[in-house]
Amino acid sequence: MKSAALASEQRERRMDAVLSYGLLLLSVVFAIFPFVFMLSTSLKSEAEALSLPVTWIPKQFTLQAYSEMWTLKPFGSYFLNSIVVSGVTALLSTIVGALAGYGFSRFHFRGRTSLLAFFLATQMISGVLVIGPYFQILAALDLYNTLTGLIIAYVTICLPFAAWMSKGYFDSIPRELDEAGLVDGASRLQIFFRVICPIAVPGTVSTLLFAFLLAWQDLLWALCLISIDEKRTVTLGVAFLVGEFVIKWPMLTAASLIGSLPTILLYLFLQRYYVEGLARGAVKG
Amino acid sequence: MRSGHAWHDRHLGYFFVLPATLMLAAVLIFPAFITVKASITPEGGSGWNLTLVHYLKAFRDPVLWQTFKNTFAFVAWSLLGHFVLGLGLALALNQALPGQTFFRLVTLIPWTIPDVVAGILFRWVLNPIHGAMNPLIRLVFPSFPAEFQWLSNPTLAFPSVIVANIWRGYPLVMVMLLAGLMAIPRELYEAAAVDGAGKARRFFHITLPGLSTIILIALALDMVWEFRRFALVVAMTGGGPGTLTEVLSTLVYKTYFQFFTFEYASAMAILMSAVLFILSLPYIILVGREQ
Repeated sequence: MKSAALASEQRERRMDAVLSYGLLLLSVVFAIFPFVFMLSTSLKSEAEALSLPVTWIPKQFTLQAYSEMWTLKPFGSYFLNSIVVSGVTALLSTIVGALAGYGFSRFHFRGRTSLLAFFLATQMISGVLVIGPYFQILAALDLYNTLTGLIIAYVTICLPFAAWMSKGYFDSIPRELDEAGLVDGASRLQIFFRVICPIAVPGTVSTLLFAFLLAWQDLLWALCLISIDEKRTVTLGVAFLVGEFVIKWPMLTAASLIGSLPTILLYLFLQRYYVEGLARGAVKG
Repeated sequence: MRSGHAWHDRHLGYFFVLPATLMLAAVLIFPAFITVKASITPEGGSGWNLTLVHYLKAFRDPVLWQTFKNTFAFVAWSLLGHFVLGLGLALALNQALPGQTFFRLVTLIPWTIPDVVAGILFRWVLNPIHGAMNPLIRLVFPSFPAEFQWLSNPTLAFPSVIVANIWRGYPLVMVMLLAGLMAIPRELYEAAAVDGAGKARRFFHITLPGLSTIILIALALDMVWEFRRFALVVAMTGGGPGTLTEVLSTLVYKTYFQFFTFEYASAMAILMSAVLFILSLPYIILVGREQ
């Protein structure tokens, strides 16, 4: 009787494993098939990418597309722009957001709950709500077509995110540490900078990297606020390649891959922090 | 002494929160008010001569109605796809089978790329002549037309965009649900097995209740994101053919920057944001309750 139950349970488990592997294998194909085709195209010559029948593996491997994206198109300056804009936005948002996160985590001031809800609600706003005014305001301030203008716009996405993400992180640091500091006679500011910040380094780094990614991936703002080639970001540069009359697919796919490299690597490394942050209310834009 | 600290603390809280609040007010709230003001200003007008004409126009605009419908369909199908694939994969990954790290990382990849790249990817894969999709289908069904059009076909363009969006978005739901599954104590399953509960009973009485909060959070968030989706559609179809794959983000963008009807675009942006706000309320309430 007992062994029959055991046997049926084993059979059940084997069935589960078979089903699971089936689903996983199908999903792997679904997930990477477009990628593999993109990678393959990026390694072809333009003639081969446009020849028929379509080849799965390049007949003649070439890195031409990977060199042309820097020479025929100024992807070097696109990258530099993206790094500057995303880096400054991330730094600014993380510092100001960490202050706010600490304030929300440790102090119970009047209006705290409403303000928290406000920070959460701002993450839900679509950039579309304010692109029109931004265009006007930045033009009036002579900041249209500047990286500074783009940084200001990206703060709207990254700052609420950073505040919530770091609040969650500070919540996980025991309050007893603050209290021990108070007993020792340290001021709140000293405690924040000397006691809590050093402990919060891993959380702050992940907030910083996520803010960086948020800014890096954006297309909407760059499309609305940048109209000259030398100020384009990577995503904008890639998007404009699609809009060209004759699309150079090997170069487009190569640029897409290189432009996605920072996000692919960072997300794969950071996924665990990201999921934890999501459950706590930190959201991407 | 203690009350002194408490008094000090209450005010210090404002000190920490103030910079971020002022910054957000300047870069977000102030511009949002300009949009509201523009949406009730006559075209090309200024000052405080207000009107509701843009909203009236919006309610009679068939393109806007169609776009709202598209956006809702886009969100609904994307959510369904993300949930089904995400839950299935999370359950499969939770069995700790050999090779699961490999499977988790590979199935995560679509989420890690910028969505403009996801749009480009599918545009290229579905290219009727040089793309991978048609030759692939012809391997299995040789009679399939060689130059089958996907993205310029009125019936298939929209489903294609949705599939691309499902591809791009399921991994996030998957990892969230997987984190939820791993948090369910194994003892619950063992106890249920001792009691003779079958697989279906265990799923409906342990797994689903254990996951309900994370499912709600995941879907509520996903709904907001998919409602705002922009770059994927721009890169893949640009809203075409015609306005068949237009979503609200792309329509508002075009109304501002291609048709240059600033006031009307503002009214559309307000309507879109109002709906988005209602959609995000469940999430705000869910998360707010826990704080």
